[in-house]
Amino acid sequence: MAGVRPLEWLLPQAARRGELDWEAVYREEMPRVFNFFRYRVADRATAEDLTSLTFEKAWRARDRYRRDRARTATWLLAIARNVARDHFRKNRPEVPIGEGEAASHDSPEAAVLRQDDFARLSALLDELPERNRGLLALKYGAGATNRAIAKLTGLSESNVGTILHRVVTALRSRWEEIGGKP
Amino acid sequence: MNDDFLSGFREDPRPEFTQKLWDRLQTIDADEKAPRAWWPGGPLLVGATLLALIVSMVSLPPVRAAARGFLDLFRVKRFAAVPVDPERLARLREGKLDLKTLVGEQVEILTPATGPEVVETPEVAAQVTGLVLKRPTTLPRDAALAEVRLRHPGAFRITLDAAKLEELARVLGVTDVAIPPEWDRAAVEVQAPPVVAMAYRRGDDEFVFLQARSPVVKLPEGVNLVRLGEIGLEMAGMSAEEARIFARTIDWRSTVLVPVPAEGANFREVEVPGGRGLLVTSYRRPKDGARPGGRWQSVVLWSEGDHVFGIQGPGNGAEVLEMAQSVH
Repeated sequence: MAGVRPLEWLLPQAARRGELDWEAVYREEMPRVFNFFRYRVADRATAEDLTSLTFEKAWRARDRYRRDRARTATWLLAIARNVARDHFRKNRPEVPIGEGEAASHDSPEAAVLRQDDFARLSALLDELPERNRGLLALKYGAGATNRAIAKLTGLSESNVGTILHRVVTALRSRWEEIGGKP
Repeated sequence: MNDDFLSGFREDPRPEFTQKLWDRLQTIDADEKAPRAWWPGGPLLVGATLLALIVSMVSLPPVRAAARGFLDLFRVKRFAAVPVDPERLARLREGKLDLKTLVGEQVEILTPATGPEVVETPEVAAQVTGLVLKRPTTLPRDAALAEVRLRHPGAFRITLDAAKLEELARVLGVTDVAIPPEWDRAAVEVQAPPVVAMAYRRGDDEFVFLQARSPVVKLPEGVNLVRLGEIGLEMAGMSAEEARIFARTIDWRSTVLVPVPAEGANFREVEVPGGRGLLVTSYRRPKDGARPGGRWQSVVLWSEGDHVFGIQGPGNGAEVLEMAQSVH
């Protein structure tokens, strides 16, 4: 039956989406996205919800991801920023972080101290303008480079560095004012 | 306070959350991959792909002919529906045959067909692919062009394994079809052309218009195409007599058979630019059977000259057909 058929062509599926191992991408990048949200929202549950939403959007759009245009981390964080924007548009900005459980590897004492520090930092972050808070979440939550942040935000790389430096300096000053450990 | 301090509040996601979200993504794949398939007919055809593949594999030529080189060419001129017996699919599932592996081992990608790539405009897609693009002039109400995607050309080769084909036939319950031993290691080459997809959206609805030149399938000469067609149709679920009659009505050098589940789907020939096309409509049940909200999905397939076209969208076929009939 020679008339049949360019099947792979007719029905290209996941196998030909490219060589990207999406499971590996998920394992590597999901913690970054999760921590981006941890530095943006009040509680772990909300951070998990927003992480889920981000990955569901990304998963549906992964056919259109082009690795020559952006690293997967940058692409995912771009989606995460949009999810965060939508979230804050629908909900009043929440106190960022601070109510979360301590990391599982902490001792009970360390966990209490860590949670206390986290709560203080949360209060300070809440004082920041939206843009600066977002930059801090990308930098320290997601661990993005200044270059990646510049690509995500449209700011120049040097501008990102300058803004972050100022924000961290101001945070340090406020931290000392409220009696945080150096 | 320093950078380390600020970074120090990062936490690992809970393992149960990590696993649950990953499982959820797999569910999305199962539920939604088909409607977003690059080629129309996704939800309809995905389930039947295996059978189509069987039909393809059964159709392969004798190896002695292959030795003389690829001299027979196939080009798409017509689409014809083939009802697929759902019991055959059930047998495949029950047989626990790892078809993905079985088939994957036989497919050699000669040139990866990269993409889909989103491009700014249809004009850019035309420039990249060299296609003179057509467009529908009638769109579903409130639908507008939202995205243009293209897939670059590629090529692949399918090599037969007679033993695996026999295993496949056995699982399908086809006992009277002998796979000629000379088919073993026979190969077919497929050259997939560049494809342009224009996605028109209306809320969550997406209508996708695809166009491409006909793919070219290189076959060894000297194949009894009608007999091979009969075997393929029999494996798809027809009786031997039905297959014999049907096979003689088909031009096997230019007809693409579109497997259509015998239940939950229907098809008919329709008038389209340049002649006749095939409209297939299927009903997708929600994955959770207790949940309402299944939907109809339709696809029109046709060819004109050496180009092939398809439009897929939601609904019972009226809107995609109207789009198809306005393409010029």
